[in-house]
Amino acid sequence: MVASLSDSDELQLNAYCDGELDPVSANEFERRLANDESLKARHARLLSLRRAMRSLPQADVPSGLQARIQSKLDAERPSNVTALRRRSWSFQALAAAAVFGAVISSAVMMTIEQYDQRENVASQVVAGHIRSLLAPQPFDIASSDRHTVKPWFTARLPASPQVPDLAAQGFALLGGRVDVVGHDPVATVVYKHAAHTVSLTTLRPGQSVSEQTIAGYNVRSWSDGDFTYVAVSDLPSADLAAFQRAFAAAAPAPEIK
Amino acid sequence: MSVLVVQNKDERAAFDEVFLPHLPEAYRLAQWLAGSASDAEDIVQEAALRAFRGIKSFGAVNARAWSLTIVRNTAFSWLTKNKSRTVVFLNDLSAAEQQELEYEGLHGTRIETPEEITLFKADAAEVQKALAQLPVQFREVIVLREINQMNYRDIAEVTNVPIGTVMSRLSRGRQLLIALLGDRR
Repeated sequence: MVASLSDSDELQLNAYCDGELDPVSANEFERRLANDESLKARHARLLSLRRAMRSLPQADVPSGLQARIQSKLDAERPSNVTALRRRSWSFQALAAAAVFGAVISSAVMMTIEQYDQRENVASQVVAGHIRSLLAPQPFDIASSDRHTVKPWFTARLPASPQVPDLAAQGFALLGGRVDVVGHDPVATVVYKHAAHTVSLTTLRPGQSVSEQTIAGYNVRSWSDGDFTYVAVSDLPSADLAAFQRAFAAAAPAPEIK
Repeated sequence: MSVLVVQNKDERAAFDEVFLPHLPEAYRLAQWLAGSASDAEDIVQEAALRAFRGIKSFGAVNARAWSLTIVRNTAFSWLTKNKSRTVVFLNDLSAAEQQELEYEGLHGTRIETPEEITLFKADAAEVQKALAQLPVQFREVIVLREINQMNYRDIAEVTNVPIGTVMSRLSRGRQLLIALLGDRR
């Protein structure tokens, strides 16, 4: 009887015969093999088993098997295509549903975002108005002269509104300040109507801010080609509407630079 | 519609590229696992169909291992379905018997093979018969190693067991074969 090898020796012997040992381990194993008769005998036996296995006649692929497979796949094809078609229909339905769902949800999201944004803009504009009232003065540049206020804006902002003096209509120009809405500095023109301050903030055109009351201040908004205007004041909304009319009537007049 | 036909054509092309080159090996493996030529053909045809249907799942890593895995699995389900008494699955055995086979040998003792069996002059029929007697799990690793000449990693992939199990099964399987062939002398 050959002395039993330990399991690990047995595994190593097999791995060695199979060429699965790394070079260092293989080298080590060869040295052991050279000095160990029992290991040598087992090694020889494994090799002869391998020879016996490899000398087994290997069946060739039966002639026509490949052709039979191909025709089987051809037969598979029509049903497969129908299956694909059916599947693709359901894919289409699924895709349509997904797109529809996406449209709905994106529409919902856009609406929510726009609403948020709008309300956000309004409340930011109102916040600017409130802050200005708390400051020693509601403007950065004090001037009843539109030719002073306008260049001041022009020097600081990419877009500056027209700054008509509406004193004749009851809205005296007090000056201007820069508010920040979102991350954008914007021009706010400040008017005085009796004891009331009116802040007219000018935003990028094409925004819509609904008429509303925030923190007791009336908000009124309108747009022309150049700006979206947001007027904030503690004036009654009827007076704010009069302000809008007066401004709109005065602003389109071509400003002499 | 035309897109779908093209898609089908692409799948055929992929099949031709991935599976067909390994057809001879697939057939040999099937034959060794099933033990008969006609069964092997059925298995390979079935495997080809499976491969075609699943061609999209081919990960473009090892076409040979992927193809032979399908053949191996098809052969296994085929053997389970058309089980003859001669086919032994490890799962058929009790846990104790499995343990015994995997780690101890055929009859509860370590496989001790007579020293004089160092060289085989066993003819093909004897080897074939001995191989057929092995539980399938041993037979497959031996066939994959000796006939298909796969490395351990690929064998592990095809048989879906860890490399350590491949190694111990190879070692055990060879000892079993040697014992069986030795008995025959």
